[in-house]
Amino acid sequence: MVTEAVAMPRQRPGQRLAIACLLGPAAVLLIAFYAIPFIRMLAESLLPASGTAGGLGISFEHYERLASSGRVRRALARTLRISGWVTLWTLLISFPLALYLVRAGRTIRTAFLIALFVSLASSLIVRNYGWLVTLADAGPVNQLLIALGVLKAPLRMVYSEGATIVALVHYAIPFMTLPIFAALLRIPPSLSDSAASLGATPWRVIRDVIWPLSMPGVFGGVVLTFALSMSAFVTPLMLGSPATAMISQVAAEQFLVQLAFPFGSAIVIALVVITFVIVVAFTLIVRKVFRAQV
Amino acid sequence: MRRSDAIANPLDRGIAIAGWVAMLFLLFPVLFTTVVSFGAGELIEFPPSGWSLRWYAHIGEIHRVGAAVLYSLLIASCAGVIATLLAVGIALCLVRLPLPGKALVGAFITSPVAVPIVALGIALIQFFIWLGISFTWYSLLIGHLVLVIAYPVRTLVASLALSNPSLEEAAASLGARPLIAFFTVTLPQMKPGLISGFLFAFLISFDNYPISIFLVRGALTVLPIEVFNYISQNFDPTPAAFSTLYTILLSLIIVWAERRWSIISLSVASEGGPGGKRSDR
Repeated sequence: MVTEAVAMPRQRPGQRLAIACLLGPAAVLLIAFYAIPFIRMLAESLLPASGTAGGLGISFEHYERLASSGRVRRALARTLRISGWVTLWTLLISFPLALYLVRAGRTIRTAFLIALFVSLASSLIVRNYGWLVTLADAGPVNQLLIALGVLKAPLRMVYSEGATIVALVHYAIPFMTLPIFAALLRIPPSLSDSAASLGATPWRVIRDVIWPLSMPGVFGGVVLTFALSMSAFVTPLMLGSPATAMISQVAAEQFLVQLAFPFGSAIVIALVVITFVIVVAFTLIVRKVFRAQV
Repeated sequence: MRRSDAIANPLDRGIAIAGWVAMLFLLFPVLFTTVVSFGAGELIEFPPSGWSLRWYAHIGEIHRVGAAVLYSLLIASCAGVIATLLAVGIALCLVRLPLPGKALVGAFITSPVAVPIVALGIALIQFFIWLGISFTWYSLLIGHLVLVIAYPVRTLVASLALSNPSLEEAAASLGARPLIAFFTVTLPQMKPGLISGFLFAFLISFDNYPISIFLVRGALTVLPIEVFNYISQNFDPTPAAFSTLYTILLSLIIVWAERRWSIISLSVASEGGPGGKRSDR
């Protein structure tokens, strides 16, 4: 209490009451219906299967099964691969888009930002449906490729890993573009101007001045895109097939079809842990390589 | 800025082209869906053999669409309003009050957006079955509330951080009671954050499939589930008509909210960065 009083000299009794009233309801809600359900799920995943009594009642058998299940291993590898490609393509599309937004005139900038925002707020099912009809056998992409002579007969593009990647990139573009745009807005134009006046080519200005300084936005967008793809569920459900199932689908089917709750819980926990570890490793690498404060 | 340079420089031209290509990629599926929604044929065809509005009337034929729309509106409105009200308290604590462990509290409250949504649905349905309240509309509401609460917290923290606390101090020094100062000075400054926070909470709840699929059974149903089922069982343009209607309504709402409260500039300002707020990350 004494140290608290020293650290927080301005916390008066009235403020303590205010904090309790303002934060209390939300804290109760999130502890009861978020923290406790997750802890129970973690406990469930450590529960021994019936018949095998562990000494402490804790067993890692569901996690061992996870490592030995071919379907889970393939789904996990596919999820990592898809997430990697989605992150790369989204960055390649979004960075020039954000650069253009900063340079564009007021009208174009406003129109593009509204389009990005509507896209961000739009229904995921509606957007995936758009790709379902766009990539259909008789859809415009197939028609164009046949008209150009690239294809002789329509190619089956939907219900595949490729279609899933395209739709996920489409989903992630606003999540990547907006933080990069925000970071680019914070770079003072005088920096590019002085680099240019010292003889740097426009390409070098982007590579050596703008790109490193936009790193906080790029980092935020990359992490968000990667995490969104890792936990993708609706998109692979609509644009993939059972043969291209991602890890969230495999976990969901353990609950909805197999009714194997402990094993499903173990898959979900593994997904959360793997995503977290990759994001932390990426953060450390970015800090080291770019010396960016992210 | 330097218009003559921008035209002369091939790199700038390349960036402009890349920007427009990216925008075309973003808009193409939406525009294409709009075109085929007016087709007259029984199946989706391009180019359409004739034009008709009948698929718009056919939206009413989606299985249980009436109940689904009502439940979705009920859940999304309640989740949006309750989440925004709770977020006002959270944001005030995080920005204005001396709260110990602020960063940790902020991280915990906004963490539901970072966990896989399916994981949230799975954890909750096991918990609701255990409590014996599974497949009720209020357990569905609780699930959506946990999912969406982080969004109004983010926007409200941003608008509070951009607002000016000295105005409240001025009101207090002129003799305003804290509650009066809050309603006349602080709350108006939070308005853009309130609007965009509610809007996002509402829309995310209204569109949610991965949590609802676990929490919904029997008579209880929501719109994304019925639309998803329709898409996977039918190949007529009804979902295209639905998509077009949804996108038009959404665009009108966003343009209106941007004109009135500039919600887009607020959300760009709330993106993290060296100068941005970090407690909401």
